[in-house]
Order: sequence, then structure tokens, then C-alpha cells
Amino acid sequence: MEIHELVGAVHDAAWLPWAVQYFFLIAISTTAFLMALPTFVLGNEDGLPRARLALMVAVTTGITAPIALLADLHQPFRFWEFYAYTHTTSWMAWGAWIVPVYVGGVIAFAWALHRPALHAMGQENWRFAWVFRWLALGGETNWFVIPLGLITGAAALGILTYTGMEVMIVRARPLWNTPLLPLQFAATGFVGALGMMLMLERVLDHSKTLEVRLNRQLVFALAVVGGLGAIWFTLARSGLSSAHTEALTSVAGFTVWRMIAIWGGLAIAVPFVIALIQPAHTGWLTGLIAIHAAWMFRWTVFMGGQAVPKVGSGLYDALMPTGVAGLLGVIGTFGLWLFLLIAYTTFMPWTEAGLPRRSAGAPRPARSI
Amino acid sequence: MDTNRRGFLGAIGRVTIGAAASIAGVTEASASEIATGGPESAVKTKDGHTVHWGMVVDLRKCIGCQACTVACIMENDVPEDSFRTHVSVYEVLKDRQDPAMVMLPRLCNHCDDPPCVPVCPVEATFKAENGEVLVDASRCVGCAYCVQACPYDARFINHETQTADKCTFCYHRTQEGLLPACVETCVGGARNFGDLNDPDSEVSRMLRDNEVSVLRPEMHTNPNVYYIGLDEALDGRVAGEAAYHPPLTSNTHHEESL
Amino acid sequence: MTNRRNILKGAAAAGALGTFGVGYAGTVKKIAKGKWSGDVPRNEHVTGNSLPPEYSVDPLTGDVIPNPDQAMSYTMCIGCTTMCGVRVRVDKKNNKVLRVTGNPYSPMSTDPFIPYESSVAESFAAMAQAGKGNGLANRSTACGRGNAVLQQVDNPRRVLKPLKRVGPRGSGKWEAISFEQLVEEVVEGGNLFGEGNVAGLREIRDLETPAVPGAPEFGPRANRLVWMNCVDDGRDNFVLRWLKQSFGSNNFTRHGSYCGGAYRSGSGAMFGDFKAMPHAKPDFLNAEFIIFAGTAPGNAGNPFKRVGNLIAKARTDENLSYVVIDPILNNAQNAPSGERSKWVPIKPGTDGAMAMAMMRWMFENDRIDHAYLSQPGAEAAKAAGEANWSNATHLVIVEAGHKRYGHCLRGSDMGLEIAGEAYSEADPYMIASDAGPTPVAGAPAPLFFEGVAETAQGPVAVKTALTLLRDEAMRKTIDAYSADCGIPADTLVGLAKEFTSHGRKAAVNSHGGMMGGSGFYNAYSLVMLNTLIGNLNWKGGTMIAGGWFPDNKGPAYDVAKFPGMVKAKGLPFGRNVPYEKTTEFKTKKAAGKPFPADGPWYPNAPGLATEWISSLANGYPYHAEALVFRNTNPVYGVPGIAHLVDKLKDPKVVPLIISIDPFINESSSIADYIVPDSVMYETWGFAKPWGGVWTKATTARWPVIEPKMEKNAEGERVGMETFLIATAKKMGLPGFGDNAIPDAEGNLHPLNRAEDFYIRGAANVAMLGQPVGDATDEDIALSNVARIADDLKAVLKPEEWRKAATIYAKGGRYENIEHAYAGDEATHQFSEPMLVWNEGLGSFRHATTGRHMPGCPTWREAEFADGTKVSDHYPEAEWPVKVMSFKSPLQNSYSVGAKALLRIVAANPVNVGAELAAAHGIKNGDMVRLTTPGGVLESVAVVRDGVAPNTVAIEHGFGHRGFGARDITIDGETWPADSRLAAGVLLNDLGMVDPTREKSGVWVDPVSGTAVRQGLPARIERIG
Ligand SMILES: Nc1nc2c(c(=O)[nH]1)N[C@H]1C(S)=C(S)[C@@H](COP(=O)(O)OP(=O)(O)OC[C@H]3O[C@@H](n4cnc5c(=O)[nH]c(N)nc54)[C@H](O)[C@@H]3O)O[C@H]1N2
Ligand SMILES: Nc1nc2c(c(=O)[nH]1)N[C@H]1C(S)=C(S)[C@@H](COP(=O)(O)OP(=O)(O)OC[C@H]3O[C@@H](n4cnc5c(=O)[nH]c(N)nc54)[C@H](O)[C@@H]3O)O[C@H]1N2
Ligand code: SF4
Ligand code: SF4
Ligand code: SF4
Ligand code: SF4
Ligand code: SF4
Ligand SMILES: [Mo]
Repeated sequence: MEIHELVGAVHDAAWLPWAVQYFFLIAISTTAFLMALPTFVLGNEDGLPRARLALMVAVTTGITAPIALLADLHQPFRFWEFYAYTHTTSWMAWGAWIVPVYVGGVIAFAWALHRPALHAMGQENWRFAWVFRWLALGGETNWFVIPLGLITGAAALGILTYTGMEVMIVRARPLWNTPLLPLQFAATGFVGALGMMLMLERVLDHSKTLEVRLNRQLVFALAVVGGLGAIWFTLARSGLSSAHTEALTSVAGFTVWRMIAIWGGLAIAVPFVIALIQPAHTGWLTGLIAIHAAWMFRWTVFMGGQAVPKVGSGLYDALMPTGVAGLLGVIGTFGLWLFLLIAYTTFMPWTEAGLPRRSAGAPRPARSI
Repeated sequence: MDTNRRGFLGAIGRVTIGAAASIAGVTEASASEIATGGPESAVKTKDGHTVHWGMVVDLRKCIGCQACTVACIMENDVPEDSFRTHVSVYEVLKDRQDPAMVMLPRLCNHCDDPPCVPVCPVEATFKAENGEVLVDASRCVGCAYCVQACPYDARFINHETQTADKCTFCYHRTQEGLLPACVETCVGGARNFGDLNDPDSEVSRMLRDNEVSVLRPEMHTNPNVYYIGLDEALDGRVAGEAAYHPPLTSNTHHEESL
Repeated sequence: MTNRRNILKGAAAAGALGTFGVGYAGTVKKIAKGKWSGDVPRNEHVTGNSLPPEYSVDPLTGDVIPNPDQAMSYTMCIGCTTMCGVRVRVDKKNNKVLRVTGNPYSPMSTDPFIPYESSVAESFAAMAQAGKGNGLANRSTACGRGNAVLQQVDNPRRVLKPLKRVGPRGSGKWEAISFEQLVEEVVEGGNLFGEGNVAGLREIRDLETPAVPGAPEFGPRANRLVWMNCVDDGRDNFVLRWLKQSFGSNNFTRHGSYCGGAYRSGSGAMFGDFKAMPHAKPDFLNAEFIIFAGTAPGNAGNPFKRVGNLIAKARTDENLSYVVIDPILNNAQNAPSGERSKWVPIKPGTDGAMAMAMMRWMFENDRIDHAYLSQPGAEAAKAAGEANWSNATHLVIVEAGHKRYGHCLRGSDMGLEIAGEAYSEADPYMIASDAGPTPVAGAPAPLFFEGVAETAQGPVAVKTALTLLRDEAMRKTIDAYSADCGIPADTLVGLAKEFTSHGRKAAVNSHGGMMGGSGFYNAYSLVMLNTLIGNLNWKGGTMIAGGWFPDNKGPAYDVAKFPGMVKAKGLPFGRNVPYEKTTEFKTKKAAGKPFPADGPWYPNAPGLATEWISSLANGYPYHAEALVFRNTNPVYGVPGIAHLVDKLKDPKVVPLIISIDPFINESSSIADYIVPDSVMYETWGFAKPWGGVWTKATTARWPVIEPKMEKNAEGERVGMETFLIATAKKMGLPGFGDNAIPDAEGNLHPLNRAEDFYIRGAANVAMLGQPVGDATDEDIALSNVARIADDLKAVLKPEEWRKAATIYAKGGRYENIEHAYAGDEATHQFSEPMLVWNEGLGSFRHATTGRHMPGCPTWREAEFADGTKVSDHYPEAEWPVKVMSFKSPLQNSYSVGAKALLRIVAANPVNVGAELAAAHGIKNGDMVRLTTPGGVLESVAVVRDGVAPNTVAIEHGFGHRGFGARDITIDGETWPADSRLAAGVLLNDLGMVDPTREKSGVWVDPVSGTAVRQGLPARIERIG
């Protein structure tokens, strides 16, 4: 039957670009954290430069993310109700509990790692020593780094699970309702996190070896993303998974989606190839493209998914930025992140984050700020 | 086609289960919610049974006049750019035969298995005792998760109250013995409303006498809005080109200025 | 770290934070607002801002408990010309209409409607869910527009004070003036605009001086005040009293000639009345087969809701199958109804070909109703048990050159002795018999005869009317007709077969689709199909409206006559009389060349607003000195009028234009003064259904809210009535003031306020026949007639007021539904014969060609005024596309200000058929340019299968320039244009003038003089 809609309603996207930002940042934070954790927990000195970048990424994005999330609530003042009226059938309700654990955990973890350095700065004779004494909470022990890290790591996995599931279970949105989605969120999270680390490496570290190493890992992460994508398409095309097939058919045939598919493919393939054949001196490029790939994936899933009518014909306009306010939200969250990054690199002795000390008094590197 | 067409028996079976489920499961929450909203309570009838509201839309009678759409807007102060109900109009061409018109009224189905309810993180949306799926706006955090979860695009965020909004089956009217606004004003007589638990109600009779179907049966939401004459090709997301919508213009809010 | 780096860092940090702040400000604001980041709704819990219910009905007892804050009043909607009885829900405290739905007493809104005796409380209960019909049995409705137009009351661009133009006409600049200044200026005239002297109404009202020196047939100068009106919205009696009986002008016209006039004239030809133009409608619920050709039930039509409702019911619950013959597929068709409802595309403007093809087949296969057609008169019909009769058997003079050519043969022609004057009622019509023509008698007569009648003046060729019709039908083959109308021959035959397979339970109906260049004959042909199966007055066939309880001819007061009234006289401004009556004809005849006239004349037509435009612009037959637009908008509604508007804007052409209207529409835009008027629920009036209601029905309108217009110095709301009363008093006209309205005893009562007139009308409505019962206190309270109770008591006698209160409490007076039928026949019947041959039509000479035209249905290509074919001027090779118009199911011509409608459908892209689109590379959503000989229009195209080949269809109701679509400046303050109000396009911008007319005029049908909007020759191209 050929059908032409003559009168139909248009639905606005109900999840705004804020949501994209949240899912983007929280995925980067958790995956970055998971990349940092083994180094600190297993005590791998070689890994420290990379782990420090990862931690920095995890902390800064981890703080920004829930702030973006709050903005996606139309009644942000009522956030406390999440805790007062937890509805256990809702993944979002669970998320409401996990997010603070994770974010608190990341901050505490980072603090713990930096505590010795903070303490030391508090002991020196300078104008802001009191601030650092205060920040160090009057001590320098950090034996709790490992249990804290494990708890936070679990929370990070919880976040990856809940964010994936929260979206995946929405049967009404075929593009979301695919079993692979949580994995894709995680994998693209790694891509984004590595991308950020690459860029920060270029800005702050300038270590060619680290750049190469990160690029190698990016190759791996992109391969996983590409692999998942391929599986997604195979499942959808072959009809083996009806959910995937439905997802594909929901957007197939629209020029804009063909362009998105090509764009997405390029966003994976281009950095993959560059990082593979030229891992050195390309960190800026691969990093930027990787961040963009992780972001664009979520934008496409969330805004694009909401542009697919559930009962109407054609597509809604949701794919395009929803007005100035929506764009400001996107830029604003990046602004906050940048601010935190500057603050972090300025005030935190981040290069001194070392392996946790089982006892006090172990040697520590000199201050470098 | 038959999987999504139900006869009367199917409907009755479903309705009974639905009612039982609502009594066993969700009622407590709903009753307390409604209590906070005012003195109303569930509608009961002379013989004491609990009413289960439902709508039967006879597509053969819809003339696409949109009286329902506008009445709903007026009755419920539905903000600009949103609808609690509207009527989609399609030109269809079956097997390259003569083109023909379908007018398809859409609204919340007040599903007995509503996917919008379990996702709500704060239990702000719930199924009331007479079968209505409602939102307690004083509790809703406006997370829009329910908006995503509804397979019918029946929910939206009300940009005035900043909370989830949707058809209430005109809860405020049925509580007072009145018809929903859209039903009261239905020019073609396509929308019919009543108690599915009452075998003598007009809607029960219609379900008995006609082949009926629901929208998106594959979602297993068990809607309480039934359709007579609904072609399968239109019961889900409707393929084909979207209606023309002119670009939005900016000078829409100067009314107050003079 | 260097300082510079720190500063940079600091700046970057500040910038980043600032950006965040800007992005996040909204959220912070929301948080700061606390529990409600948005507006707190009325009910914070489950029903938000939903209105408090109007009343409640106890499900156990059925008791109605009103909501004291809201009034529920029965009055009238004028969201379109249907004028339904509706129920208006008013927030009493804020004088605001909250919502509107139907009046369950009113057949316009309800089927079946409740008995008139039901109390108001019972009427409330009837609409409740908690009742025996679940509220569905007597469900009463307002349509989409009817639900939305309450927004017109509070439309921010409503005119509430009298306005006077500043600057040239049409400049959009106004000043507010006092009512008293308004009255002073229009009555006394003077140099009103600094453009020279303008004659005031007092000067124009000259009953002595002829309007046209040397041509007395045009009556006095008073006729040079001309009045254009919409449909009768229930207030025309007031206007006519002022205009004709007091002021003395004969020039009043309504919008019929650009509404569906061609259809009504075609129907009028068959029903034998070109002025009242009776027309029948199918008995929707009982018919088995209906052909809708040129009317779209459920999409538009009058009565819109009733027809929509009945058609939905009939195709679902009853036995009706129907076909919609239409160039565009719209809401009249319904796929879920399957075979019950079909669409057949037709080339615009060619319905005559379709109808004549069907007739040909019916004649060839003898599928016409002999039993009905062969009755030559009332007596015979009665004897045969027929419900009506026709002149099918009457003999018609067809002798070329005969002075009675085209007339029916009468007894006097045959030299028979007759009781009265020749050709009067007493002069019998003649039928064929073996013994030659004989007078009509009480028995059937031969249907077909062609031969020679030996008249007193010698032999004369005659034919029966039906023979003439058959000749016309046989003029072309079915294949040729098929080629002309684009409907396949076997479909035509199928239609004819089906149409003649249901006895008299079949019908043809038409309307707006007839507004093409051959509209009159197309319509006459279509309705003739009904006569050929004899379905008039039969249940399941076609029936006429049941009539009404008139307000002006009642037993209580004579509101139609008064002491000192004048009789308006003179040939009408629109030239809808025989040209032969004019001095021009006589002069030209004396000079030996009576034809052509200087412009067209339309003796077989009613008042013609369309032709008035030409009369106004050209001063032919004479110049108007003052023009009133009341609730009408020809500048928007008449196709091609744009070519004449500049002339209307010239104050030298029409020195004074007054618009009485609540809005600045396209026509009031060119007025000199705007008199603010009331909107729907604020006015008084009485209306009758236009058709399709089989019982008597009068819908009453009364101000259920306090009108919004400002008050004048006397404390009365300014409005049409106030204005007319004030001007009449100022000029000292009869019929207004303290002694104006006689009652049954001859005592005179005052007419100083609108109430004095309408409330007496209500008493008439109430007292007619068996008077209605008294309204109870409860009725008065529940319906909020309490609002006007003091007025009722003040105006009426003690024994009358409660009866009038009943009329208002129930929103009118309605005969109960069981009176619709008497057995198998309609109760209210049309008793005059159907004219298979209309001798007025068959005998007249077309003024601009001097030629005769057929007196029976025929298929003719469209012609211009000089008789040349339109297609010769605009050949198909150059103009291959036909553009046509159809009503919006949502909008009407003035509902654009009801913005709830615009959020459903915001504009009207043009509909292009799939094949035509493909041929021009047009895809859905492309911009196209349409060009006709009359204009150019650019629009987005929607490509559809449901459009006839080579046709572009445009929905009516968009493309406005009035109502706020353009800037309006009042007292220097500007209301900027709202582009939403201007959205879309207007077909009438493509409308054409007739290039053969020396005195410019829009293209009209040559017989009915009606505007042409269907089938404009055009070209299409893709422009992006
Ligand atoms: N929804 C709505 N209802 C209305 C109104 C409104 O504006 N909107 N206006 C009211 C008024 S004033 C009136 S007069 C009535 C009019 O009611 P209708 O006469 O029923 O309406 P129209 O749309 O003028 O014309 C009827 C149909 O004729 C078709 N048509 C056009 N050209 C041709 C042709 O050449 N041949 C054939 N066979 N069909 C043709 C049109 O596509 C249209 O579908 O409606 C009244 N009701
Ligand atoms: N292209 C095209 N042209 C058409 C048609 C079409 O289908 N296509 N339809 C034709 C038809 S059927 C008709 S009937 C004519 C109609 O054309 P007209 O009879 O000339 O008038 P309307 O446009 O209906 O305008 C009536 C005016 O009354 C005013 N008005 C509105 N509501 C109220 C009220 O409550 N009280 C008062 N006092 N005034 C009010 C408004 O300003 C409105 O402009 O147009 C015809 N023109
Ligand atoms: S239609 Fe949507 S909003 Fe309504 S109950 Fe079902 S899932 Fe919920
Ligand atoms: S928007 Fe409101 S009702 Fe919907 S899920 Fe969120 S809190 Fe619940
Ligand atoms: S039942 Fe009430 S809320 Fe629901 S669509 Fe109808 S009018 Fe709107
Ligand atoms: S009011 Fe009734 S007939 Fe009109 S569009 Fe709505 S459902 Fe259809
Ligand atoms: S048909 Fe609709 S708009 Fe027209 S008068 Fe009736 S209710 Fe009003
Ligand atoms: Mo009309």
C-alpha cells in the first residue's frame, strides 16, 4: 500500500541535547576511569603517564556529566524525588543511585591519589599553603585508594550498564531497542576517552611514546566499534535479530540517514587508518576525530532516534539542533568541562599522582608546577 | 492480520486481566495519587462493579473534521505545538487501485500494559482504577523517559507546566459523569466511549459486533482504544511521505505587545 | 609557569565558565523556581489545566448538578454558513467562552435530536456519559472550526471601536473615532478625508430624483446606496428593514453568486424559481445510492456537520453506497468504508458531460421513471399516488423565429377559450395526444412527441420537454462525453446503471463544484437526474428543507411592516433582470440594433454580488455613491476581483465605503469607515437551515456573553443595529424610534435597541402555531437566559416573556424529529412541478449575443460573455492545466484568526496530480509556479494520486491579506503582520476577467452570472 500523510502531527524531541552531553561525558568518564584503574590498582609505574591523563579525563567529565543530566530534567529542583520515590522497575531510578556513587567515587579516588602531593604542598611555605592543607584534610595517607577504586570501578560498570540498558529497553524506539547498544555505548566511550587523552597528551605531555601507545589503543577501540557496527548491520540485514532489522528499517531509505551512515563509517575508518599507519604526530587529528565519533554516535542515537516517528510518517526535525537553547546547552557543557580541565591542571598536582602508598614516607617526585 | 484483530472474547479476556492487574498491582499507588489530587475516587456503577473505561473508534465514521483535536485543546488547555489527540489524514493507494482516504484519530491508548509506567523513575505516572493512565504532575520530574517509552507518541512534555502530559481520558469529566470532550463533540460519531466492564455499554456492544483491532499490537501494550476498520498498513509507524509542514515562523509571540 | 600563560589560562577558564553559565542559566532559573519550574496548573495533580467540568451528572440518580461558575447557553455558531445550534460554555466571572459543543435540541448538531419538550436539565443529562445512551445516543457536536472559533471573540486584532481611514484607501492606516462622530460623518457627508466632498447618507436618500437621469426603470437616487451582505446570518431582516423599507434602496445582495450560485441557479431552473432557487438534498440516511458531484459531504457542504454525520452513519449503519465525483479526493471519501464510498475523478467544469452521458444511457435503456414523468399536473400526480410531478410531457414551441420560441405551448396559443389572461395561471399547458395538443388533465400524458401543432396562428413545431431533453442528451455519444469529462465510458454507464437500480432511493447532489464556466447547465443537468427517477419528496430520495418558524411573520408582532415604510423600487444593480426592460434596450432597438447590450444581463439569476463588482467599477448600469459591506468579504472571495480592486479603491468611483465587520478583512481593508460588530455568541438573530433538515427548525442567537465592542454615549454597545438605529434616527427615517413595531392589536412599540427587534422576533417564533411552553425558572437558570431575563421582561408582555425565554433557553425552536416523514414520503414537500424545460430560460435572449440558449439541461463548453469559447481564447495547447478550488475541511474564509486550527494544518500547499507532476519533474515539496490568464501564484506542491489528470487543486481558506496578515496601524500604533495568518495561497488570485467584456468584469457563467473558480486554464512549472 502506498501511503501519503496529508495531515500529521510533529513531535519535538523530549530528550534534549543535554542528554546527549550526559551520555557522552559519562561514558567517557567511566571508560577513562576503567582505563586508569588497573595502573593504580595493580601498581604499574610505566602506565602512570597514561593513567594520569585517563584520571584527569574521568574526573573532569565525571563532574560535568551529572550537571548536564540535571539540565535535561524539566523539573530539576525535584531531583531529590529520585531518592524519595525510587521506582525499582525503572533503569533510570537505579541510575539515580549509581551516578552519585560513581561521581563521588571518582572524585574521592582522585583526591586520594593526590592526597600526598596536596599534603606536601600544604607543608610548604607559600601563600596558598592553607588551601592545600585543607584540601589534603590534614593527612597524606591514601591506603584506601584501592578499595575506593574497586568500588568506583564497580560503579563505573554500573553506569555503563544502566545507561546502556535505560536506552536499550525502550521498545518504542527501534533505533535504541537493540541488544548491541550498551556495548556500542561502552566501546564508543573508550574511543571518546582515548581521543580526549590523545588531545590532552598533545597539550600537556608531549610524549611521543604515549601518543603512539594511545593511538594503538585507539586502533583497537575503533576496531571493536567497527566490529560491533558490522555485527549490527549483519544482524539487521540478515534478519537474524528482528530488533536490529527493525532498527535498520526505521531509518532505511532516508537520504539523511544514508549520509549519517557514511559519516559514521568515515568517523571510524579515518582515525583507524591514520592511527594504524601513522601513530606518531597524529594525536591531535585522531584524538579529535575520535571524540567527535563518540559524540556523533550519541547525537545520532538520541536525536536521530527521536526523529523517527513512532506512528507517523517520514521523519521529525529532531535531528537538527533544537534551536539556540539546545546548541547553547551543548557548547555550555563543553565550556564547563574545559573550565574544570583548566582548574584541574592548574590547581591539582596531577603529574604527581602516583601509585598509592601502602605506608607513609615513600619517596615522591618533586613538584613541577 | 488476525493476530491484531480481536473479537469480543479477546477483548473481554484482556479487560478482565487488565482490571485484575490494576487492582492487584498499581492501584495502591494510584489511589493515593488521586487522593492527593482531590476528593475524587474511582467510578463505580449501580451494580457496584468498577468501571473500566475504553474507547472504540469506528474509522468508517471519521470525517477528519478534527473537532476532537480542537475540543481536546480547548478542554485541556493543551499548549501550542502539542496534541493530546489529533487525527492523521492519509491518502492510500492499495494495490495500485483507486486512491482513497483514511482518517485516523490518535490518542493515548490507556494501555493495560503501559510501557510508559514502569520506566518512570519516581512513579509519577500510574494506572488509575478505572483504567486511565495518568501523570501526577506534582511529582513528575520531567525526565521524559515515559515520553520515550510510549510506542504511540501519545505523550509529550508540556512546555507550560514542564511536566509529562497526555490524554487523561478526560478524567476530570468522567469523574463527573460526563463524556470526554473529544467524544462529546465527535461529528462523525467515530469516537465512542464507555465502560468495557459493562456488557450493555455501547462500547461493549461495538466490540461484540465488530472485528476490531488496536494500534501496534506487536507492542503487547493491551490498549483500551480499539479501532474498527483499521488497515494493518496503518496500525504501526506509517510508511510514506510526511505531511507538509511549513517552516515555523518567528513572529508568533507579539500578541501581548499591543 | 609564566604569567602570560596563567593569564591566558585564566581567560580561557573564565570564558569556558561563562559559556557554561549562559547555557545553564535556564536550568538554574528552573531550579530557583523550586517545585514548579513551569507554570503551576490549576489542578497540580492529574488533570493539569483542564477546565473544571460544566456540571456533573450523578451516575446513580442521573441528577444534574451545575457548576455555578460556568454558564451553559444554547446559541448559534457562525464558524461557517451552516450556523449550527451550539452550546457555549462561559466562564461567568471572566466573561470568557471556554468551550463550545453542540445543542442536542438542534438537528444541525445532533442526530437524533432530543424532543423539544425536554427540559434544559434533561438536555444536559442527554449529553452525559452517565445516562442511558452513554451520552452517545444524542451526542451533540461542534466541528473542528466550531470548536476553535471561540478564539475569534478574543482575537487580539478585533475591531472594537469605530475606525476611519487615514491616508488612501487600503493603506492599512486607521484612526479610532467616536460612534457619534461616525454617525455624524456618514449621515451628513462633507469633505471627510480631505479629498473633496463626499455625499452623506442623508443626501443620497433621495426618493424623488432618478438614480439615472432618463432611465426611470432604475428607480430613485436612494438606490445608489448599495449593500453587500454575506449569507443571512439571522440579522438580514433588520438590515432589510433599514435599507429597503426605511432608506428606500433596492440594492441588497448576498454572496450567493460567488458561493454556490451556479448550482442553486441550476436547481432553481428545475424547481421553477430563479430568485429563491429551491434545492433538494438527498435523504442521506435512507438513500441507497448517492452521487455527489461537486459537493463534498463531510469535507465541506452546508449543513456541514449534519451532512458529515449522516453520511458517516449511512455508510456504516445504514444501506448507503455513494460515489464522489470530484477532481480531488478529500475527506468526503472514506477507505475503511470500502465499497460504500468511492471516488471518481473528473475534469473540472465538465459535470454536464457526465450527467448528459448518464441521461443518454438512461433514455437508450429506458431507465427513466415513467410513472412520475408522465404525470402532467398536480391532479394527475395525486391520482397516480405521486408525490410530485414535472413538465416532461408539456409541449414546447421550437419553431425557429417564432415569437414564443422556447415557451411552452398554451391553451391560448391553440385558440382555446380561457378563463383568465393569456399565459396566466389559468391558461392551460398543452400535452400531446393522438388528436393533437390537448390541455393538461388528470391523467398521464405521452412522454415523447415531436411534431407540429396547428395553432391559431398556423402550424408551429413543438416537442415535449422530455423530447427536447432527450435530443440534448443524444447530441453526443457516450464516448464523446467521456472524452470531455475524463470519466471512462464504462464508468459512466456503471454510474447510470447503479443510479437507476434503487428505485427512488437514489439521488444526485451538488454544489460548489458547479462554479465553473458551464456551471449553470452542469448543475441543471445533474439535478435533472433526480427528476428522471422521480425521487423528489420521497423517503430515501431527495427532500427539501422542512422550513422554519420565522421571526418576522409571527402572530405576536409585525416586525416586517411599520407605519410610513417605503417601497424600494428600480431594476437591481446586478443586472439580474431582462435587458429588454432597460431604456438602453429600447434606445438601441429604436436604432435598429438592440444587441449586444453594453454589458451582460442575467434575467435567470438572483442578486449577483459578482456582477456588482463590475457595476461598481464601471458605473454600469449606474454609479454607486455609497457601498456597505456587512460581514462579507468579496475582495477575498471573488476569483479575479484583484483586477478590479484598484478601481474600487478610487474614491471617485465609489465615494463612500462603509464596512460593518468585527475584523479588518480584505474588503474592510478598502473601506473608509469600519463599524465594529459583534462576533457570533454576542449577537442576536434567527437562522434557518440551508437544507438537509426535514423538520422545521429555527436557530436562535443571543448574546450569551457581554459583547466586547465599546459603548456609545447612550451606553449601548456599538454594532450594526446600534449604527443603523442611530443613522435612521438622525435622518428621521420611518420604522425606528418610539413607534416602530406594531403588535397584533396594532399598538406600536419602540425600536431603540437591538433587543426591541429581536426579542419580539423571539416572541413570534415562540407563538407560531401551537405556542411553545413557558420556560421554567430552572430552564432559565441552567441556560443562563437569566442574563437577558430583564430585557425579555422589559420588551415583552407578561404572558409572552417566558415563551420567548424558552426559545433562548433551548437555542431556538425545533419541530420534533418524528415529523420528518409521513409514511414513505417527506412531511414537508415541494409541491410545484419540476421543470424538464424551463421556458424562462428557453426563451430569453442573451444580452451580449442576442442568442437563445437551451431551456433544458445540456452540456456546453465554457463561454465568455460574447459567446466565444473560452478555449478559443486560451487554447489547451498553451494552457494545458486546470486549476480548481475545494473547501478546507478545517478552515473557512474567515476562520484563520482561530489559531487552534493553524496548529493542525498551517498552510495549503497546492495539490498536483502524480502524472502532471511527473511530466513537469515536480516532486513532493517542490516550489511551483501556476500561471493563468488572470494571475500568477507560487506555492509548495504536494504531489498526490488523488487528483484528476492535468489538474491542480487548491484548498480554500488560506492566503489571507486581511485579518492581520498585513500590518494594521491604528492611531499610529502598529500591529505587525503575523505571517501565520498570511500562510498559504489563494486560488482567487488566479481568477480571470472576461477579456470579451468591454466594461471589465470577472469571468462568470453566462446564465447564472456566477463566479468561475473551477477549471481555470493554467500552466505549471517547477521553480525549485
Ligand atoms: N469545512 C468547511 N465547511 C463549509 C465551509 C467551509 O469553508 N469549510 N463553507 C460553507 C459554505 S459557505 C458552503 S457554500 C458549503 C460548500 O460546500 P461544498 O459545495 O460541498 O464545497 P466546495 O468545496 O465548494 O465544493 C465541493 C467539491 O466540489 C469539487 N469540485 C470542484 N470543481 C469541480 C468540478 O468541476 N466538478 C465536480 N464534480 N466537482 C468539483 C471540489 O473539489 C469540492 O470537493 O460549505 C459550507 N461548509
Ligand atoms: N477560491 C475560492 N473562493 C471562494 C470559495 C472557495 O471555495 N474557493 N468559497 C466561496 C463561498 S462558498 C462563499 S460562501 C464565499 C464567502 O465569502 P463572503 O460571503 O464574502 O464572506 P466571508 O469570507 O465568509 O466573510 C464574512 C466576513 O464576516 C466577518 N465575520 C466573521 N465572523 C463574524 C461574526 O461573528 N460576526 C460578524 N458580524 N461578522 C463576522 C469576517 O470578517 C468575514 O470576513 O467565498 C467564496 N469564495
Ligand atoms: S498509549 Fe502510550 S502513554 Fe498511553 S498508556 Fe499506552 S504507552 Fe502509556
Ligand atoms: S516525565 Fe514525569 S511521568 Fe514521565 S517518566 Fe519522567 S517523571 Fe515519570
Ligand atoms: S479523552 Fe480528553 S484528554 Fe483524551 S484525547 Fe479526548 S479530549 Fe483529549
Ligand atoms: S471529531 Fe470524530 S469525525 Fe471528526 S475527526 Fe475527530 S474522530 Fe473524526
Ligand atoms: S459547521 Fe462547524 S463551523 Fe459551521 S456553524 Fe456548524 S459548528 Fe460552526
Ligand atoms: Mo458558500
